[in-house]
Amino acid sequence: MSRPGRDDSPDRLYTLTGGRSRSGSDAFDLVTLVVTESDPTPGMQSEHVAILRMCRFPTAVVEIAAELALPVTVVRILLADLHDTGRISARHPRSAHRLPDPDILEQVLVGLRNL
Amino acid sequence: MTASPSPIRPSALALLITAVVTGAFCTVAVVSAAPGSRAVLGWSLGIAAVLLSAGAYAMTHTVLRNRVLRARLTALTAQIDAQEANAARRSADAVRLDAAHAAERKALIAAHAAELRRAESARAAALAATANAAGRMQALATGMLADLREMEHRHADEDVLGDLLHLDHRTAQAGRLADSIAVLTGARSGRRWARPIVMESILRGAMGRIGGYQRVRLHSTSDAAVAGHAAEGVMHALAELLDNAANFSPPTAEVHVYVEEVPAGVIITVEDSGLVMSEVQQRRAEQAVSGRSSDLAGLSGTRLGLAVVGRLARKHGLMVSFRPSARGGTGALMLLPHELITHVTPTNTVDPVTPAALDLPQDLAQDLAQDLAQNPKAAPEPEAAPKPVAAPEPEAVPKPKAVPEPEAAHATAAEPASETSGEFPQFGESGLPKRKRGRALAAAHPEGPDAPAAPARASTAASDAAARFSSFRQAVRANSPTPEGNSE
Repeated sequence: MSRPGRDDSPDRLYTLTGGRSRSGSDAFDLVTLVVTESDPTPGMQSEHVAILRMCRFPTAVVEIAAELALPVTVVRILLADLHDTGRISARHPRSAHRLPDPDILEQVLVGLRNL
Repeated sequence: MTASPSPIRPSALALLITAVVTGAFCTVAVVSAAPGSRAVLGWSLGIAAVLLSAGAYAMTHTVLRNRVLRARLTALTAQIDAQEANAARRSADAVRLDAAHAAERKALIAAHAAELRRAESARAAALAATANAAGRMQALATGMLADLREMEHRHADEDVLGDLLHLDHRTAQAGRLADSIAVLTGARSGRRWARPIVMESILRGAMGRIGGYQRVRLHSTSDAAVAGHAAEGVMHALAELLDNAANFSPPTAEVHVYVEEVPAGVIITVEDSGLVMSEVQQRRAEQAVSGRSSDLAGLSGTRLGLAVVGRLARKHGLMVSFRPSARGGTGALMLLPHELITHVTPTNTVDPVTPAALDLPQDLAQDLAQDLAQNPKAAPEPEAAPKPVAAPEPEAVPKPKAVPEPEAAHATAAEPASETSGEFPQFGESGLPKRKRGRALAAAHPEGPDAPAAPARASTAASDAAARFSSFRQAVRANSPTPEGNSE
């Protein structure tokens, strides 16, 4: 995504989503892991194909968005479409609030550097 | 004249006088003659008198007749003279009038020529001004579209995005109108694309410029791409055809677009289920899109579309035709010739994005990587620290891959990140880019430059460590006001 808007593709984002700006489902947040469930079929939207190719291994939504160079919101709409047709499945990572305290992590980090 | 009455009456008078005079003379002569010769003398004198009378009559008659004829001759001659004079006068008049007419005509022609010249220059000036204005509007629209795209990437809020998309759509339509005016006024058309544009993008680009784009259904499996110099023209012409199809069909009807590769090139078919064009309309439309007439005189003001298509078709060698559609409406066919078509190699539709090259002091990153590679056991065992990704197959799993998001964050940096860190993406066996070991750890270091790391997926001990710390970063950043995946 260098110099956005200079010579990027002529697609506008609303044509990708058919004019929608919200996904209608909150199944996907930034770190939801997406796994492909079926192969792409001919005639599919190229973004859908790309997502299906990319998610053969579990991939986070935010990674998909970065890889497609699309806003996360748009990616979530695309994912919701695929999810509704059963082509992908979504899984949430274990919730983040059980992370150790950042202070401890930083201490570990410092310890590691001192190794 | 005096001779106008018939000469018979004076002749008869002369006859009578002669007859009376000669009769009296004869009678006297007969009476005074000897009785023996009276009969002979009487007969002789009688015959002589009759002859004399007849001669007198004839003479008088002839004389009078001659006089009448001479008078008529004189009259006719006078008449001829008068007519000749008249004719001469008339011809003189005609000559004078002719001269006047010629002068008048010359003046008129001069006036018309001057007017024509003035009109020509006015037309040229108006065209130039319009083309100039259209060009500026195009530039504005293009700039606005770029800005909007950037904003769409920056704002993740759904409401904001919705508004931005709305504005984007309006701007795209305004840009199309500016493009149309530019095409009609002969200005350069729109923007130029440096590389071939794949058919799907062409179709979507065209679709995005019309009001009823949500009713357009694309059916394309073609991997053809349109050469960059013609892509804008093709998109614009297609947008006009789509707009026609959407406008002249019921607001609920769908417009279907098919792409078909034929030996002559690629045919794009736009089918609606609206009004069927009558034969006359169809002929007029074909005439309009043939691009043969290039003057603006035939424009109706409200319907610019087909004229624009015609211009673009002539410029790029497209062939546009119409036929009744099997869907009940009209089908518009656009044939793109071979010269405009290239076939991009069917790689992944998504380019492998350069993975994040982190802004790290190079030595630090390498130190850490070396440390970890040499002594993987020294890395802390993965414990309760959540790993965002569970690797299904430890062997086949790609090495930790950086989220490309930081690239966007650093795109505005002074120099490309890959140069500062001296690292270029490497690709694992799965084809996905993998990251050097330990970079996430180094990136997570609080004293290092503030560079975000990525969720890691790995099973080796070293990359587990990296994964753990990238998760830490992830967790911290997930709550930050700026969402992931957006620049800045």
